[in-house]
Amino acid sequence: MTDTTSTEPDTSTQRPARPVAPRVWKWAISAVILVAATWSITGLDVSIDRLTSAPGDAWNILKRMWPPAFAEEIDRGVIGKVLESVYIAWIGTVIGAVISLPLSFLAASNVSPVWIRLPMRQLFNAIRAVPELIVAMIILAVTGLGPWAGALAIGIHSVGTLGKLSSEAVESIDAGPIEAVEAAGGRWISSMRWAVFPQVLPTVVSYWLFRFEINVRASAVLGMIGAGGVGSELVSQLNFRNFPEVGAVLFVTVVAVVSIDTLSAMVRRRIIQGGTGGEGSRNDEALADLTGISLR
Amino acid sequence: MTQPVGEVGQRPTKPRPKLTVVLGLVAAVVFTLYSAQQVDMRVSTFVDMWTNPLWEKFWPIEWDWVLDRSHVIDPLIETFQIGIISAVIGCSLALPVSFAMSRLTAPNRGVYYVTKAVMNVVRAVPDLFWAKLLVTAVGVGAFAGAWALSIFSLAVMVKLFSEEVDSADPRPLEAAKAAGGRHLPSVATGVLPTVFPAYVAYSLYVLELNIRASLVLGLVGAGGIGRVIEAQRGAFQFDRILGILVIIFAVVFILEQISVALRRRLV
Amino acid sequence: MIRFENVSVTYRGGVKALRNLDLTIEDGEFVVVVGLSGAGKSTLLRALNGLVPATEGSITIDGTEVVGASAATLREVRSNIGMIFQTFNLVERTTVINNVLMGRLSAVPAWRSTLGLWPATAREEAMLALERVGIVDKAYVRASNLSGGQQQRVGIARALAQKPSVMLADEPVAALDPVTSRQVMGDLQRINQQLGITTIINLHYLDLAQEYGRRLIGLRDGLLVFDGLIDDVTPDTFTSIYGREIAASDVLADDEP
Repeated sequence: MTDTTSTEPDTSTQRPARPVAPRVWKWAISAVILVAATWSITGLDVSIDRLTSAPGDAWNILKRMWPPAFAEEIDRGVIGKVLESVYIAWIGTVIGAVISLPLSFLAASNVSPVWIRLPMRQLFNAIRAVPELIVAMIILAVTGLGPWAGALAIGIHSVGTLGKLSSEAVESIDAGPIEAVEAAGGRWISSMRWAVFPQVLPTVVSYWLFRFEINVRASAVLGMIGAGGVGSELVSQLNFRNFPEVGAVLFVTVVAVVSIDTLSAMVRRRIIQGGTGGEGSRNDEALADLTGISLR
Repeated sequence: MTQPVGEVGQRPTKPRPKLTVVLGLVAAVVFTLYSAQQVDMRVSTFVDMWTNPLWEKFWPIEWDWVLDRSHVIDPLIETFQIGIISAVIGCSLALPVSFAMSRLTAPNRGVYYVTKAVMNVVRAVPDLFWAKLLVTAVGVGAFAGAWALSIFSLAVMVKLFSEEVDSADPRPLEAAKAAGGRHLPSVATGVLPTVFPAYVAYSLYVLELNIRASLVLGLVGAGGIGRVIEAQRGAFQFDRILGILVIIFAVVFILEQISVALRRRLV
Repeated sequence: MIRFENVSVTYRGGVKALRNLDLTIEDGEFVVVVGLSGAGKSTLLRALNGLVPATEGSITIDGTEVVGASAATLREVRSNIGMIFQTFNLVERTTVINNVLMGRLSAVPAWRSTLGLWPATAREEAMLALERVGIVDKAYVRASNLSGGQQQRVGIARALAQKPSVMLADEPVAALDPVTSRQVMGDLQRINQQLGITTIINLHYLDLAQEYGRRLIGLRDGLLVFDGLIDDVTPDTFTSIYGREIAASDVLADDEP
């Protein structure tokens, strides 16, 4: 301490004790995870036998998908079915966007009074809580089979997710212009249209595109219960164990999903750059992209 | 009175909207109309739905049946088990895979590109496709569902977490390597501590996602509460389905509350 | 004529921003309000157009009572009062002309403005307002692409587009550099002189207040502590308004003309 030129360890200061709390936490959390995992495995009726044979079985199926039976599948109209999934997703997104846009203003705390805001939020939460597959199932049962039922189910679900995200976008705007409209003697609707709407438009449109990407996957899945699109083809080929055909269906689906993701991400980036730019980290984007739920 | 106070400028003419924007909007409208026609969009559906006598089958909810332990509660517990174990497996595997899929920490470019390509393909296949595939491969039941969600959530987690690793401060890693560390220990000491909180946050998030996803796995035979819904749908027992929906509703709501509270703690 | 009678404003939480204020401002006056931040300058302006409700007293503008007025009356009153903000309060993501058109909102039916179907007269008023502040050439530029001084001019144009009889400016130059500050103050002064619009400006900088103001109002802790002509102001006046010695941060200085 006193002699700065010496490199001898200074033993006059007492070494601190290694803190205990973090280690306790670490062990506690590890224990919780371990217990939860063990409890979960016991419920899944796994024997060592099943566990060891499963990877082999899966690999076996994967091998039998090669080479994919493209010619047969194209004859069976797989391209049209994938496109149908895309149409369903698009119509669902449009329905969700058109309905959620006005509602999201009513659900935002900075521009709406409590008596309308709370019911709106609960509506969004309620919609989000029901998986779209189950919504589709009910609509299908009531209206009969078809892609329109799938589009409706996706539309309803999108109202919930887009409404929540968009109302958060409204809540994060700069309030200055609203004050300016009020000070100029404008009405509530005018401040929404001229002070809020231009501020949130780029963000909200990019949410619509996120949602479209997610909805393409969702509509592919809806086909599995008969709501139109590529899902039904996958199910029937898997049920007949026509694995080369399954391979072709999967391939076409993956190509469609990846190209739509890429295209949409490109457009989104341009839209956001057209805004003030740099808003939201890449991971927020990824999260919203995957689920429609923002971390913030 | 009309004398300007600043320097006078020429009034500009209103610029034409950008061609790309106009074309984009036109394309969107045309595509919407075409899609509407393709999905057979009809407003009359709403009237049909409203007047459909089937709605009466939804009410009253058959609570006696719904609240019977073996009918709904046990499958619901199975749902949780699928969600939890798949999140544990997916997130554990995601830790090494994410480091392989980040530009910052990948051992070499080959590993980076291969991992990235594989993970992108895995993520492009919807979760229920995975479930149906694995049901075919390993048989009907929760085991297939757990498998499917493990695979899917691995891909999701890797996408989220690898981007977090990408944006981590590279200097500690350089320091560790400069001190002569090998690649793996350097990553473990130089990068892991920075990104670990994000790892925990995303893991919780994936857990929530997987429990939500496992609610519907049963519709394709991969176990959980969805299996019950599917069976009751086949029997047109909508009064029971509505009861199950109410319970699902409550579960998702509570789940979200817990997850929001936990996240607030962490951040 | 603007008249404050025994006006008090108490915010939720009990902060008293204005205390028993009595004040009369004649048509066409150019008034500068000074005081420390938190002295109630901003509240004074916002109480006048009802953005902040007065909790006590009476505020009348040409005989119309503002305190406790209905929403419709408030809109009517506000349509006659232009307001300019420290932070400009522009929608940066849209064009200058769209920002200025916001000043015409009270004069155009809500359904028309909401659909963007502005009457030709409204567009003309907006263009004229832009010409008055000399940036009509930027009409179709996005507001975010303008400099701070230009943005504040758009803010002034927006207020002018209302064709107001009163102009309120809340620290209009606090976010600007000295040169631009003087330009903006000059604009406001000329607008007052040429159009006869009653102008009330909150300022922090004492030298700017002395340079441009005619009548000076001093606020301290919500109380009116000075009301007189600029010519009667001495250095002691400021010390008493501020309750402390004048610091370097209280003057704009720099290249004074």
